[in-house]
Amino acid sequence: MPDVMVVDLVELTPDAQRGRARQQALRAIGHASVHSEVFAMAHKSRLREELGAVAWPGLSGVVLSRVESAEEVAACDEALGRLEDERGLAPKSLGVVASLETALGNHKAMEIVKASPRVWGVTLGRADLEMDLRPEPSGELHLLPYFMERLIIIARAAGVVPLGAWWRSTARGLRAGAEDTYEASLRGKALGFKGAFCVEGHQVEPVNRGFSHG
Amino acid sequence: MAERLVRRSGLIFPINNPRFLEKAWTRGCDFLVLDLEDSVPPQQKAYARSLVKTAIPVAAKGGAEVWVRINHDMVEEDLGAAVWPGLRRVNYPKTETAEEIRFVDSIISRLEKERGIAPGYIEIGANIETALGVSNAHEIAAASPRINDFGGGAGYDMSRDLGVEMFVGFEQFMYGKGELELAGMVKEMDIHAAIFIPDVSGSVSDADYTFKIAEASRKLGFYIGGGLHPNVVEPQNRGHTPTAEEVSEARRVMELYKTLEAEGRAWAELEGRVIDRYEARRAKALLEFAEACAERTVGRRSR
Repeated sequence: MPDVMVVDLVELTPDAQRGRARQQALRAIGHASVHSEVFAMAHKSRLREELGAVAWPGLSGVVLSRVESAEEVAACDEALGRLEDERGLAPKSLGVVASLETALGNHKAMEIVKASPRVWGVTLGRADLEMDLRPEPSGELHLLPYFMERLIIIARAAGVVPLGAWWRSTARGLRAGAEDTYEASLRGKALGFKGAFCVEGHQVEPVNRGFSHG
Repeated sequence: MAERLVRRSGLIFPINNPRFLEKAWTRGCDFLVLDLEDSVPPQQKAYARSLVKTAIPVAAKGGAEVWVRINHDMVEEDLGAAVWPGLRRVNYPKTETAEEIRFVDSIISRLEKERGIAPGYIEIGANIETALGVSNAHEIAAASPRINDFGGGAGYDMSRDLGVEMFVGFEQFMYGKGELELAGMVKEMDIHAAIFIPDVSGSVSDADYTFKIAEASRKLGFYIGGGLHPNVVEPQNRGHTPTAEEVSEARRVMELYKTLEAEGRAWAELEGRVIDRYEARRAKALLEFAEACAERTVGRRSR
């Protein structure tokens, strides 16, 4: 069982189905929150609709996708504050995980994670895909060790939690099997990440095992 | 969209050696760099400058772009000698600050005006080869719209600046490379990437090693070449050109993705691979570059 479930309105939801996904979000949060904490992934350019769809009792926070500036975090902070107020949620109870997937987002990582006390964690999300970092002959994704270490240093310096684990091999996250996932988790933990996102159910156990060791 | 630049292969050579110039344009490079810097001894700098204007059309005979590498501390003299019609780019070595680039830019702008060259036509290649340059990467990348590509951070001058050996057999410049490529990506520039494959010989004429690097770069989506020895040209052209198989594969990806979009799906599998908007973007870029390469080849033959 994962520690946190993330209700995804961004990544694996095609444009045509976003409206329907938002309508189903409340029910999904209700189901998921029986078993674990629940976050929702929202896109910085659709804050009003997406935060409105997910900011209900049972939600712990949002993963803010493709964030690129402190202003965008501030806008999210403000929108969450308003929703907490309107819906009787405890003030400042909803957290934010900043997902830095673009070059600009990573460049501005420090100002982004310091933009609001709601920022609890930071991740590279699908940075490898968004920035198109493909495998070198060594099997290492081009520049990914640099981006991972950079993110971990900034996260620790700012007092937020670095999240993620990336596959050294050529397997894309959607296709990664248990063994790849376990290795990525061990490596992620050794570098300084404190947990990782999974995209398939069979990845949860190896991530838990990898991050629990020692 | 901006024109896709094709710069798969390049040779740099000292301009004061007529033998190199006479041969260079026959090598089949996408660009040639006339060097006024490291390969020209101090006592020959003035003579070398006097050769640039007539060398440009000679170097261009085979259809290659012609660039000049100037000296870091002789900007005005070198640019005065180099900025003539036919020149495509000025490489500025050991760039360390945005001010330096703004200075180079201002002189080029004046010379373009005086000498009938379209304003903004001449590019600047900011060669970053020192720790200070890496530290100022973002400011340098933003210093002039003439900079179209960025990267590097792993070479002879960098190792000299750091006081380290090169060819140690492991990835020794990860931080510098990362800083430079990130700065270029932020400005949405072409990336001049340094791909790591262990090289303990340090040979500048090894065609096999050159091909391995070029092929690895192509698979990562990077296509900019350059070297010192004629042996690198053919392997760079071959290694940096998408293969027929990659082109037909990319077409299949684009077709499948169109179907996905029409059906409102985010991804599907194709022979064990994930196909989604990221793969579609890669495929589209590859097809565009392959087309630009083909046009380049046709352009050459007609000369």
